[in-house]
Amino acid sequence: MSDCVKNWRGVLSLLLLGPFLLAVLVPFLWMVLGMFKTNAEFFQPMAKAFFPANYDWQNVVDLLGGEWVPFWAVFGNSLIVSLGQALGAVALSAMAGYAFARFSFRGRRLLFVLAVALILVPRQLFAVPLFSWVNALGLSDSLLGVMLPGVVTGLGVIYFTQVFRQVPGEYFQAARICGASEPRVFLAVLPLIWPALLSYGMIHFILAWHEHLIPMLVLTSESKQTLPLTLAKLYDVSQRTPQGVQMAASTFAVIPTAVLFALCHRKFKSSLSDLLVH
Amino acid sequence: MPAADQRTQRVRWTPFLFLLPFLFLLLLFWLIPLVGGVKMSLQANGLGQAEYVGLAHYKALASDERFVTALRNSFIYTLASIVVIVPLALWLAHLLRATFRRLRPALTFALLLPALTPPSVLAVLFLMVFHGRNGLLNQLFVMPLGLEPVDWLKDPDFILTGLVLQTAWRWTGFMTFFILAGMEGIPRVYYEAARLATASRWRQFWHVTVPQLRPVLLFVAVYLVVDGFSLFSGAFVLLGGSGGTADAGLLTITYVFQKTRFFDYGTASAISVSLLPLMLLLLWGCLSLRRRTA
Repeated sequence: MSDCVKNWRGVLSLLLLGPFLLAVLVPFLWMVLGMFKTNAEFFQPMAKAFFPANYDWQNVVDLLGGEWVPFWAVFGNSLIVSLGQALGAVALSAMAGYAFARFSFRGRRLLFVLAVALILVPRQLFAVPLFSWVNALGLSDSLLGVMLPGVVTGLGVIYFTQVFRQVPGEYFQAARICGASEPRVFLAVLPLIWPALLSYGMIHFILAWHEHLIPMLVLTSESKQTLPLTLAKLYDVSQRTPQGVQMAASTFAVIPTAVLFALCHRKFKSSLSDLLVH
Repeated sequence: MPAADQRTQRVRWTPFLFLLPFLFLLLLFWLIPLVGGVKMSLQANGLGQAEYVGLAHYKALASDERFVTALRNSFIYTLASIVVIVPLALWLAHLLRATFRRLRPALTFALLLPALTPPSVLAVLFLMVFHGRNGLLNQLFVMPLGLEPVDWLKDPDFILTGLVLQTAWRWTGFMTFFILAGMEGIPRVYYEAARLATASRWRQFWHVTVPQLRPVLLFVAVYLVVDGFSLFSGAFVLLGGSGGTADAGLLTITYVFQKTRFFDYGTASAISVSLLPLMLLLLWGCLSLRRRTA
């Protein structure tokens, strides 16, 4: 293809992508600009006051200073819960995936089907019995009570099964010839699949960061809340939180996942490309 | 699919060593609540009730008009979101591949932003899009086309459409990303072979791209079905847990939520359990499709 045709196609597809990009980005822009607005400005029609009259950081300062909610404590809780879930899920799923991919054993098929079923029957449908069970285990109102149920994932197991299937057998043989025990073989292979480990960890972190229903049921005291719960509280009309503060909190809630994704984006995509088509 | 190692027959318990943590927590936080849910569906409604009522909740559901409405809405909603999102994501992925290479990561990231945003934040953004006359959708699309502004969240004719638009807004970029990753993994040789056979671009798309993308498309469809039937946030965010005017936007998961709120745990569990056969059907479909591709 000549360069000229290529450029022309590039510009044309950019033009066609334009409306979609606008549709996605305009609401986000509105959210970010919203942190600087007064309530009066905020409720005007979009076309009139899309940009704030002046960029006043007071709302952000109030939010971060804990004027409305113990923001940093909640942010920290969310980080702990999401990181803990991501690490746990990666460890558990990688081990299970290794077993499914590298061994043949009795009941393998059945257990694998169970892992697929895990994706299809999500916990949300059985939130109430889960909640009462978590209570019975003495984990109510603890971050652990949110984390532990969150590390079981069918998606992760299936993902890592696929990943380990693609590691060439020679690596395993080499490790075994050196006389390594099975757990050591597993650990020796891990560096080979680190993009996959990182990618799944990222996905799971994002899912955990968004989780609303289970934390809502399990966490009751204010100091234990996670970000989605606190956001819901800020949005609640009866709290009379200024719109600007709400928008600041919303913006801060998006930043961690957005930054994480931006950092891992490339590795994630290449790891998926390898996986999806083979 | 490579055969599992023969050598490992030697130690029979080793795989279970690796599976143990997963299986333990699976039992603890998935299987037990599931069984608990089935048990709850056979007991009377109310907090702390344990009176056995047999299949009464299921019988009541069978003649419950709202349940039928919820099921129908969920079917329409899920199907419509797949029909809208999958072709759109394929097209966007194609455009992203056609555009300048250096812009591609930034553009993909921008499209994917809604999927990275917590549902409770999306709530606020959606309200702005769908809200009455001043909402973005009316201001930018409906009114410039010379149509009457639509009250997306109140007009029973449009609530379901609003929900589908909302899901499309949230997930299309995410699915585009997966499809793009899949497309980049397709070996070039296939396209060269197709070109040698002088296949048109359209035929290349149908005979090379789509079959190669089958695993990705399967993933996308399953994700959207599970999301449509059981994930709480979408409909909850937009309609605040109600079914909307005349229940036009009542989904099964919203109905479960409503029953739970009034401590009708028996009924709520019965609804969840009655969705299981559907999920099993889906499971069977996935596994047989997987076998065909393998």
